[in-house]
Amino acid sequence: MTLSGYEALFFWIFALAAIFAGLLTVMARNAVHSALFLISSLVSVAALFVLSGAEFIAGVQILVYVGGVMVLFLFVIMLVNVGAEERGRDEIFNNQRQVTASLIFCFLLVGGVLYAVSTGYAGLEKRYPKAEALVGDQTAPTQQTGPQNATGTSHMTKDTERIGGSLYRYASLPFEIASILLLVAIIGSVMLARTLKQEASADDVDPEVLLEEVARDLELAKLEPQSE
Amino acid sequence: MNMLNCFNPAFMFLFQETDGSRLGLMKHAALNPDLSKFLVIGALLFIIGVAGVLTRRNIIVIFMSIELILNAANLNFVAFSGYLQASGHVNALAGQLFAVFVIVVAAAEAAIGLGIVIALYRNKETIWVDEIDLLKW
Amino acid sequence: MYKYIWLVPLLPLAGAAINGLFGRKFRFSEQLIGSIAVGSVALAFLISVAAVYSYGFGGQAHWPVPYLTSQDGFSFEWIPAGAVSVNHGASYALLNIEWSYQLDPLSSIFMLIVTGVGLCIFIFATGYMHGEAGFYRFFAYMGLFMFAMLVLVMGSNFLMMFVGWEGVGLCSYLLIGYYFDRQEAANASRKAFITNRIGDFGFALAIFGVISTFGTAQYTQVFAQAKSFPLETLGHWGILSWIALGLFIGACGKSAQLPLHVWLPDAMAGPTPVSALIHAATMVTAGLYMVTRTNVIFQHSQTMLLVVALVGAATAIFAATIGITQNDIKKVLAYSTVSQLGFMFMACGVGAFVIGIFHVMTHAFFKALMFLGAGSVIHGMHHEQDMRRMGGLKKYMPYTYWTFFAGWLAICGVIPFSGFWSKDEILWSAASTTQIPLGWLIWLVGTIAAVCTAFYMTRLMAMTFWGRERFLETPAGGEADEAHASAYDKGLAAHDARLPSAGDRPRHEPGEHVGPVHETVASHVASHGHGGHEHGAHIPHESPRSMWAPLVALAVLATIGGFFGVGPAFRFITRAEHPGGRLNIVNWLNPVIWNPATGDFKTAEGGHEAAAAPAGEHGSEPLAEATHEGANGFNLAHAVEGSTHNELATEWIFIIISLVAAGAGMLLGGLFYVWRPSLPDIWAQRLRPLYLASYNKYWVDEFYGWAVTRRTMDAARAVFSFDSKIVDGIVNGFATLSRGLSRVVGGVDKYFVDGLVNTIAAFVARLMSPLLRAAQTGFTQNYALVMVVGLMIAVAAFFAGDIVTALRGIFAAVM
Repeated sequence: MTLSGYEALFFWIFALAAIFAGLLTVMARNAVHSALFLISSLVSVAALFVLSGAEFIAGVQILVYVGGVMVLFLFVIMLVNVGAEERGRDEIFNNQRQVTASLIFCFLLVGGVLYAVSTGYAGLEKRYPKAEALVGDQTAPTQQTGPQNATGTSHMTKDTERIGGSLYRYASLPFEIASILLLVAIIGSVMLARTLKQEASADDVDPEVLLEEVARDLELAKLEPQSE
Repeated sequence: MNMLNCFNPAFMFLFQETDGSRLGLMKHAALNPDLSKFLVIGALLFIIGVAGVLTRRNIIVIFMSIELILNAANLNFVAFSGYLQASGHVNALAGQLFAVFVIVVAAAEAAIGLGIVIALYRNKETIWVDEIDLLKW
Repeated sequence: MYKYIWLVPLLPLAGAAINGLFGRKFRFSEQLIGSIAVGSVALAFLISVAAVYSYGFGGQAHWPVPYLTSQDGFSFEWIPAGAVSVNHGASYALLNIEWSYQLDPLSSIFMLIVTGVGLCIFIFATGYMHGEAGFYRFFAYMGLFMFAMLVLVMGSNFLMMFVGWEGVGLCSYLLIGYYFDRQEAANASRKAFITNRIGDFGFALAIFGVISTFGTAQYTQVFAQAKSFPLETLGHWGILSWIALGLFIGACGKSAQLPLHVWLPDAMAGPTPVSALIHAATMVTAGLYMVTRTNVIFQHSQTMLLVVALVGAATAIFAATIGITQNDIKKVLAYSTVSQLGFMFMACGVGAFVIGIFHVMTHAFFKALMFLGAGSVIHGMHHEQDMRRMGGLKKYMPYTYWTFFAGWLAICGVIPFSGFWSKDEILWSAASTTQIPLGWLIWLVGTIAAVCTAFYMTRLMAMTFWGRERFLETPAGGEADEAHASAYDKGLAAHDARLPSAGDRPRHEPGEHVGPVHETVASHVASHGHGGHEHGAHIPHESPRSMWAPLVALAVLATIGGFFGVGPAFRFITRAEHPGGRLNIVNWLNPVIWNPATGDFKTAEGGHEAAAAPAGEHGSEPLAEATHEGANGFNLAHAVEGSTHNELATEWIFIIISLVAAGAGMLLGGLFYVWRPSLPDIWAQRLRPLYLASYNKYWVDEFYGWAVTRRTMDAARAVFSFDSKIVDGIVNGFATLSRGLSRVVGGVDKYFVDGLVNTIAAFVARLMSPLLRAAQTGFTQNYALVMVVGLMIAVAAFFAGDIVTALRGIFAAVM
């Protein structure tokens, strides 16, 4: 799938933006800055998704990843990290040895990956020769499009339709499992984030530990267990 | 599209046909990015994420780097999906499907992980990972 | 009818089992227990009578051939032992020992004696043991004893006899030790059992000899084979002599002959019915039964016959001399039993086995009678057994007195009572025997013993029934009374086990009285409670009917029982050698006795025909040999006959001599104890050493204690010290050696091996520990870095070939 024209231009813009934002995510001093840079990186990647013809995934990325996960990140940063700024300069990187070793191995890794991609791509081209078709080519058999969109500049694609069909038919089991995974994650995160008071009132604290904690915080003793 | 016609000269320069020379090839490769560029971008994002995981002290930033890694993987999946769609492969949509699940898992993992961070913060009052070294000999 | 003799041992056993197993559990009343016991024995007696009648006198009489119950299937194969080697491996025989009963002339007599006299004693015991707590136990053991004794006498092979032998030994132990909470009784029962066992050892060896010589244990087969064995004359000792020796050792133990007689007097610690049944009538006669049963073997060994006769004679005189000085009524009777058993063995030793069995029979009658009479006396005297405190009981206990009187006359040998017939025949056989030498010596010793017997029995009568009533004169004397009195002082119950006892003493309630006479003096007896030593003597009373009725029955038998064996001396009246046909014991038993002259068993109806009569046949002394010297040394009868030239006169001379001996003994006894009561003490002083020897039973018990018991314990101690010092020392030495060795090895291990290991380990630890420790930073990102490195290595390994090619390419491009 070779991009060309404006699509190539947008590809390069968003690609560079993603990389740049990613770099700044890792190098930002402030955690909130890191989060915002990550958001921009994610949005750029979503644009790249659109360029690959995966509109639905791009939408999901924006909604879920940026709109859910990153907001959660920001909440947690506010909960735990607010004091860091006010204290002044803290080191954000680990000790020298760790950083050096990490960078060395990362460079090796990137070199390896680039080399692999470049040598492997020739073989890939041989395997799938018809991939030269343009994405925007509307005559391409895979690019069946629907009716025109609202502005009239392009047609609506069938990507969502196809994903929905596949997801609920061929990938329905993983879908259900994923939903259970999310349920477990919800329960788990609620449980993990309980305070001692909440745990004591739900009678989930070991009696010995409770005695210790009561010694420190007398209010706990006033709690009545909600369950018998 | 009409408004963009003013850029036509630059476009004409940029979008002209290439010759067989090395620079031309490179120009053609640059002007017509294909799957390999996607993969390279994904790899670079991955590397950046790994570097972030290994070097930052702040736990939250480490988690965000992990999200970067997952994103790079997603990019890989989707790039291949698009490529295979273009080449008419029967199972081309698998990449996008997988990307959906990766996003789901990433969301769940982020929730749990941040729950752990909060519990850790309540007990140790710190977010610097090098202060959480109870396993040290 | 004789088919059913197998019931005879079984019925007393069933009665014993019922009484023993259920008597206490279901709390049988004394009446029930007594009825079961007496009923079972009575039934056994009736069946025996019927069986013997049909065997010997019925229409299809089986006599004299032995009848075995296996002929009608009432038997079972007991020990199918397979092949045994015979005669030191010369040949093999198939040994199959069966459990079957044999009815033949000898066993029939014993069956009748055991069940008949036993019945009388059982009835007596129901009265005597009244009030006992262990009433059921007594009758259970007695029934078991009856079973064992009947198996002994009715068994058809040596092993059944041995089973019965041991069984009666066991029951003797159980019954002597009936009052098990009394030390005296416990000691006596143990002594009886152990002494018996010594004899049993000899018996067992004899049985082994029998089986290995004859290849079978069945009487009929053994004796059929033994008949044809060569005769072993004096001085020649062969296999049959060995067997006879073993058998006789067993008989010595069971029948209380010298030197194994020590248990019988002590056995008087058991209840009186036990003494009567076991130690007078039945168990002690088992030795006689055995010797008579195996008379074939004994008669083949002249040496053993002589030994038997000499031992019997020695025992007779030995025990008789002891009996003269004893004061306990039961002990006198016990020594009398030992002495009379000696007489029986004397008879067997001289070859007159039938007369020995005859004496068993008559002795059973009068000795059981006298024991039961003594029991009645003891009961009436409230358990006083010392004759010195009796006297003049004639008017208090008439039944007891008159029955005892009959027994006294019988044992002294007064004509026509039963004892005369048998004792006289014994002495005549001893004088006229041609089977062994020294017959005259046996006769002499026997006659002296008969004098002693008459003397001490008269003494017993005088001290117990005649004369003045000494029990009224000794207010608080004597062991029993003293014990009784002191019991009240100490507040103990009378008849307490802790008190020294004078003998067997059933457990009456202190105020319990039996019999009609005593009610009139109940007030006197009731005044026991006045405490202190002021303690009046008891007034004796007659025993209840359950006790004197058997006495009467036995007295009748003691009087007329002798007529079963009228000898040839009376042939001028009876016109027959042994009148009565099969009722005469000699005619009845002869087929069981082997005749050495003919080499076969004696024919029935006596083989008295003069011309062809062989020598050695009992009762006929042919005048063929007119010389004093018979085949075996000096023969007294022949000597006398040489003078009189009339065999009848010879016999009558000996009869007169024995009667005179009996009369002399009785007169002497009367003189010493009735007319001149001061004489005993004078003569006791004059013959003080003899008196002491007799009174102390010749110190045999003390000698055994010193020589046997203490030496055995010393040996045991020596062996123990050997074991504990030497054997254990060796074992402990090994242990010490092991410990030392282990210490050495431990040292090597600790210093050398461990040193090596420790050095190496320390070296490695010192080397690696900082390095490995450095890896445990606890720092998560270090671990993540390591993971990434690992991932890269994995990927690189996967693409190793490509990487190498690329590097070469780069290398080539650069260069």
